[in-house]
Amino acid sequence: MKLKFEIKGTLRASRLVNLAVITAFVFFPIFWITLSSFKDEREVRNPSLIFDPQILSYQILFNEPYDFGRLLWNSLLVCVLVVIITVPLAAAAAYSMSRFRIPAKRFLLVLILGTQFLPPVVLVLPYFTIFRELGLLDTIFGLVLVNLTRTIPFSIWLLYGFIDSLPREIEESAMIDGAGEFGILRFITGPLAAPGLVTAGIFSFILAWNEFLYALILTSRDAKTSIVGLVAVVGERDVPWELMSAGGVLVMVPVILLSWAIRRYFAEGLTAGAIK
Amino acid sequence: MNLRNSPVKWALLLPGLVVMFGITITPISQAVVMSFRRWKLTESPEPAGWVGFENYVRAINDENFWNSIWVTTSYSVVTAAISLALGLWIAVSLTHSGPWGNFLKATLVLPFAIPLVLRGYSYRFMLLEGDGVFDVLIDAVFPFLSEVVWLSDPSWALFWLAAPTFWAWGPLSGLMLLGALNNIPEEIFEAAELDGSRPFHTFRTITFPLLRPMVLVVSLLVVLFSVAMFDLVQTMTKGGPGRATETLNYFIFRIGFSQFDIGYSSALAVILTLGLGGLAYLYTRLLKV
Repeated sequence: MKLKFEIKGTLRASRLVNLAVITAFVFFPIFWITLSSFKDEREVRNPSLIFDPQILSYQILFNEPYDFGRLLWNSLLVCVLVVIITVPLAAAAAYSMSRFRIPAKRFLLVLILGTQFLPPVVLVLPYFTIFRELGLLDTIFGLVLVNLTRTIPFSIWLLYGFIDSLPREIEESAMIDGAGEFGILRFITGPLAAPGLVTAGIFSFILAWNEFLYALILTSRDAKTSIVGLVAVVGERDVPWELMSAGGVLVMVPVILLSWAIRRYFAEGLTAGAIK
Repeated sequence: MNLRNSPVKWALLLPGLVVMFGITITPISQAVVMSFRRWKLTESPEPAGWVGFENYVRAINDENFWNSIWVTTSYSVVTAAISLALGLWIAVSLTHSGPWGNFLKATLVLPFAIPLVLRGYSYRFMLLEGDGVFDVLIDAVFPFLSEVVWLSDPSWALFWLAAPTFWAWGPLSGLMLLGALNNIPEEIFEAAELDGSRPFHTFRTITFPLLRPMVLVVSLLVVLFSVAMFDLVQTMTKGGPGRATETLNYFIFRIGFSQFDIGYSSALAVILTLGLGGLAYLYTRLLKV
């Protein structure tokens, strides 16, 4: 009996150690970048917890030549437009595939999934030549367009999984009561699918916010995003790590808040239907 | 299952599909066309003549291409293996774990949401020789590693290039596996305990086999993301030292945007697309679409 207690005690202690290690693993880099953003250029090269905190790095970033306020605004604009276009298009397509007889549906789903994994490096060169012809280089509209190549297929898959798991019986009885297709969408399936729509919207926002290669190649000044701004801060040599950290905090805070908001759906959203 | 049939379905389906395929098929077909041409921006602003499969033949004979395939493969395998090991450990640690564990579960998604560019810079910063916090801590615990300059050593560079990825995928796959773990009936574990099965034995003979489908799905997902990854190479190593971390993705970028060889870069891009298409198809087979 005593032996059993000892084993249980050891198990509990090892479980606590595990939890502590996992916490450190998840949070340490976030903690360290945040800490470093309040150091000056000398202290940032010294891995110490004791220093004189200041917000100079943030002030530098919001002024010329970095102008982070404008870059964050550009990112926000691109992301909001991407979400506004992605969610209705993806939701309608997903609903249609879930509830109606669609020819070659399996093939279509595989194709959409394949599109989701198209790497930007494949598309960016053709887009560069196309945009040069059409005068879309360094425009918000152009950047929104290329981001849709990832957010639409991703959201269709996510919403297909979500809508397909909603019960159909209510729709069917509403139909018997004389409701039309749009009445069903408006009053029954739409509200039920709301959490899915929010998740797809936030995922699309995060994807567009974090996107790097398209923004690097297809924008130069007017439509430059905050991620490209971060790259410009780092530069080539003699990296100002305190500015990188402050810029990092600025680009990281919105996506951390948004992913926290959808934490319950996050893992399911990524595998989209794998967990059933 | 009762599927309806009404013309409305086309009005709902087509706008999304037309936009999506419009903005992907146009550039892809252009890449395919360019891959059959000779076009170096250093020689002429417009494409030159047709060369058939010459750009593809060039890839097969290019040792740098094979190097990039090898780097991509080892990078993906290392990333997936470490992510899964971390994920299993996290999932098992967080079952029945009380308030702290529940809070931790909710935070497992955070690293994944952080931009890859920032993850890359952060790790590079923490690995700085003599100044970085990771370098200092590791040197204190393992003095024999103090001579290593992490991102300048070929094998360590590849490992650290994987770190920002498994920092995100470890916790995230832990969360996914936790979901699968909670679907296993409690009675199975109780019965095993009554039969005197020790924890590790239970994990090996019961838990892991039941989790295997989810493990496969997550592994392939990590591999798909790793093969398509570009940002970390650009922010951490630029493919170096030498070509030790030059993935296929980065090789295509370099040929296209620093050697301006559009034809060859396009052919390589087509090869990458076909490879990823194959992996995506495998993935849908696993999901049983």
